[in-house]
Amino acid sequence: MPHPASDHTTPLRPPRWTTTAWLTVFAGGLVGSATRSGISLALPAPAGTFPAATLTVNLVGSLLIGLFLARWDRSAARAWSLRFWAIGVLGSFTTFSTFSLEAVQLLEAQRPVMALVYLVGSVAGGLVLAVVGLRLGSVQR
Amino acid sequence: MTLVVVTIAGAFGALCRYVVSGWVQERTGSSFPVGTLTVNLSGAFLLGLIAGGGDIDSVAVIAGMGLLGGFTTFSTWMVETVRMGLLPLHARAIANVTVLAVGGLALAVIGYSVGS
Repeated sequence: MPHPASDHTTPLRPPRWTTTAWLTVFAGGLVGSATRSGISLALPAPAGTFPAATLTVNLVGSLLIGLFLARWDRSAARAWSLRFWAIGVLGSFTTFSTFSLEAVQLLEAQRPVMALVYLVGSVAGGLVLAVVGLRLGSVQR
Repeated sequence: MTLVVVTIAGAFGALCRYVVSGWVQERTGSSFPVGTLTVNLSGAFLLGLIAGGGDIDSVAVIAGMGLLGGFTTFSTWMVETVRMGLLPLHARAIANVTVLAVGGLALAVIGYSVGS
């Protein structure tokens, strides 16, 4: 019997190493990155100021990935939609590296309270919204 | 211009993430999301390194930042944590949040000081 813990990783990692799979992730990555950079150009946050753009994309992305995966698990849709939407679009719409760097830059700018608000707001908010997304997505229609 | 560079670099980053995190996850055979952990922690270090190096306006730096933006992911980290928490594997979920949040900060600082 497979260990139940494998359930959370397997859906996000279909072991497919085909050109089509790569192109699908790349295409999704174009959409996600374009949207994220559009939002960060619209809400510029120089180093040491509150990173509203990154907070927004990370929170919205966490909600959407929960929604998507709940529907995806239930509909047993084809793997390409997972690679395009979850891994490609939402994976690159949200970002961890910028989030970490911005938190460090807030600390460096002597704004520890803002850094803490940013850190806790992103993580706690992201977790809550992912749960909300999973729950909303699994409601029967 | 910036938008185009960041978009294309970010898509390459997403592709690298798919390959690296999938490879790590398969090779380790772990039920813990080590693939996402690997891309996120290494990406936080590398972004710190680039940011520490200064010259934020050069095309290479913008491309590097775009690539790492797509290479790392926040949403997958969140949903993998929540799925572990709902199984319920609370200790693993808490470990996944703590290790990445603290590790990401620490590695961004280390990268920044190495780069500057």
